[in-house]
Amino acid sequence: MNTKLTISNISKIYPGCIANDNVSLEFGSGKIYALLGENGAGKSTLVKILSGVVKPDKGKVFLNNENVKLNSPLDAKKNNIGMVFQHFNLFETLSVFENLSIDSNEKNEELRFLVNEILKKYNFKIDLDIPVLNLSAGQKQKVEIVRCLIRNPKVLIMDEPTSVLTEQETEDLFISLKKFSEEGILIIYITHKLKEVLSLCDEVAVMRKGKVVSVSSTKEEKIESLANKMVGENLGTIKKKINNFKNSEEILKISNLNFRSEDPYETNLVNLNFSLKKGECLGIAGISGNGQSELFQILSGEIITDYASIKFRNKEISKLNPRERREYLMAFSPEDRISQAAVPELKIYENVALNNFKSSNFFEKGLVNEKKIKEHSKKILSNFSVNTDNVEMKSQFLSGGNLQKLIIGRELITSPELLVCFNPTWGLDVGAINYIHETLININEQGKSSILISTDNDELLRLSDRICVIYKGKLSKIMDVNEVTPEKLGILMGGGTID
Amino acid sequence: MIKIEKRNDVSPSIYFLTPILAIFLTLIGGGIIFYVLGFNPIEALKFFFITPISDLYGFSELLVKATPLCLIAIGLSFCFKSNNWNIGAEGQLIFGGIVGGGVALLFYGHDGFYVLPIIILSGAIGGMIFALIPAVLKTYFNTNEILVSLMLVYVAKLLLDYLVVGPWSNPEGFNFPETRQFSESARMPILFDGLRIHAGIFITLITVFLSWLILYKTYLGFQIKVSGLSLKTAKYAGYKGKTMIILVFMISGACAGLAGVGEITGPIGQLHRNISPDYGFTAIIVAFLGRLNPVGIIFASLVVALTYLGAETAQIFLQVPKYTGQVFQGMILFFLLGSDYLLFFKIKFLVLKKNEL
Repeated sequence: MNTKLTISNISKIYPGCIANDNVSLEFGSGKIYALLGENGAGKSTLVKILSGVVKPDKGKVFLNNENVKLNSPLDAKKNNIGMVFQHFNLFETLSVFENLSIDSNEKNEELRFLVNEILKKYNFKIDLDIPVLNLSAGQKQKVEIVRCLIRNPKVLIMDEPTSVLTEQETEDLFISLKKFSEEGILIIYITHKLKEVLSLCDEVAVMRKGKVVSVSSTKEEKIESLANKMVGENLGTIKKKINNFKNSEEILKISNLNFRSEDPYETNLVNLNFSLKKGECLGIAGISGNGQSELFQILSGEIITDYASIKFRNKEISKLNPRERREYLMAFSPEDRISQAAVPELKIYENVALNNFKSSNFFEKGLVNEKKIKEHSKKILSNFSVNTDNVEMKSQFLSGGNLQKLIIGRELITSPELLVCFNPTWGLDVGAINYIHETLININEQGKSSILISTDNDELLRLSDRICVIYKGKLSKIMDVNEVTPEKLGILMGGGTID
Repeated sequence: MIKIEKRNDVSPSIYFLTPILAIFLTLIGGGIIFYVLGFNPIEALKFFFITPISDLYGFSELLVKATPLCLIAIGLSFCFKSNNWNIGAEGQLIFGGIVGGGVALLFYGHDGFYVLPIIILSGAIGGMIFALIPAVLKTYFNTNEILVSLMLVYVAKLLLDYLVVGPWSNPEGFNFPETRQFSESARMPILFDGLRIHAGIFITLITVFLSWLILYKTYLGFQIKVSGLSLKTAKYAGYKGKTMIILVFMISGACAGLAGVGEITGPIGQLHRNISPDYGFTAIIVAFLGRLNPVGIIFASLVVALTYLGAETAQIFLQVPKYTGQVFQGMILFFLLGSDYLLFFKIKFLVLKKNEL
């Protein structure tokens, strides 16, 4: 069985973001293909197009040189394209067999026979008659795979399959995938984990910002070369001047920070220790999904973990919520500016009121002081060159760059001693990026500190005084920026070690 | 092919006008139903919506019905605005009635200005406590507040049943399932002789004003608004999510409890099995028809109260069951949700070219 899948000039544009920009790729059966890229690189959109969930604005998909129309997931099934999503689509309270029979046309007895054959063939041990909620994540994934196998797929697409698996389950999965591949099923493996690409796949296509930037055989690649391709290696020209912080006052000290999440899609943090000097910018690099979001939320106080000591200006603040931390002059700019840092349906001045201090007097004796908030908002709009002066405007009408300026402005106008920001320039245009970068360099020059969690290595090398890498919830050693090279970052980001 | 797309911006004026459109469509829908049943639709609608309020007594009855509806809906708006789905206002109303009624029986034969305020207060506390159950279970045990609050309605109903049949039944009542008539001191003052409209309407109006103040002018109201739009943002801003959930449930439970105690000390005057014709459920429609806005809720409560009265008149003059009232309430909600859908989404009819099929 020879299968050839060709993607030709696929483009998909969402408002404000080009998810796929003229993507062309070719796959043939007998090999396992990796589709590698950071979150937001366009992998998921491409996969959704292949599985019929999203329709491309332009471009065609060919299966064995035949143009296939994938207008719905049903079309994908008809064309023998199987898909296992990162989040399982199973009814937890139904039994395994009931889940499998929902979208199957076979009679129950035939289906049971077929499923048992598959289970035997691939040595999957799953009890068909227990409810899905009693299964482990790895077993649930096997159920999803079996569901695809029932239909004799020509193509099997796995979207970030190992994010919820244990090491052992991952190994099992790889063995099965290799078996499928030997039997002639074309496998497309979506991931941002570099090691997996090298150990499992034969070919790798790297995507960045909606484009395919490289296609190569994994034999020719190393972890660092792939990491560089993934995050881009063009260094910016502006660099901040290098300072020596040896004698500066220590402002933040994190010791023995541990976090165990109950949510399998979150990353556990293991024994983080670092400190920050006055006026210093600490960059935290890493491929997204390695614990950055959890670390940010612990620093901001959205997650309170019992196993950490966070000392800010010599006060223990680990049990304080974000509002209380702001009173101690900390400020936070989260990654998700549209649904977390601001509410699009609220007016600009209402969004400004989210960052509320006792001393800002936005709410006096529990009452809203609209006049004060509006005055304060006007100041932010003009000081941080947001391109409007109408504080009554809903913030959904601001462009990404202007919204980010508003958020950074809101956080900085109170002169905090520490700003924690997470991917502050993600998805912005060059002008806005430069403005935010200058602003961040400025606050360091004024003696304020910052922590920059970012997946953009250019940005990190441009703004940080020291850099470390987070990988699977662990921090690498912290390096001065002048001893860091993109290669070193690449090795650390892929889980390697350097001396 | 049909494609459904979210509209980016909805103008506020249309947002507040669609409930009126929904009412208008309900009238048309109701007319059609009456026509199919063999009535002259205009005449029937007149019996339903005009006759009941054509005299002073009818108008007072309208206010009597609107008083609890408005009060409960205002309370619910706190919950709904902050994404907490309290469906059990009926249970909170009944439990408030039970506690208030119990206190009223305790003060049986007592005179004094203090009796009524104590009863009212205990009714509010009763509703509040009953609403705390789903709130605490939601915040500390992650239960679904819709299910818990809904199921507690039946708990409250059965408890009331038990009390009026058993321990609290009127010793001189020939085993009728009802308590004694409360003393005069435990009754809401009647505002006009010969009409049933009572002082409870002032409680409702004061609550509406206070709610407007809280929702639009205070930090608490701002926090409720932000949490309703984005829980992630509320967390990031450092609002105490759990405290707020408990607070909005307490407010809404207290309002429902007040409504319950207003009914038993007002028009009813005792506890029996049917102290509420599902006011607690109907108030959900009122809250949404009024767009969760205090002023909107006042108007919505009058419209929905009219369906209660209309059903009674229609039962007398047209010999249709009084459940017609619920049909109209259902239609209002149906048309409101339908027009809301079209308000927030636009439907595009795409013509596919042949080669795309």
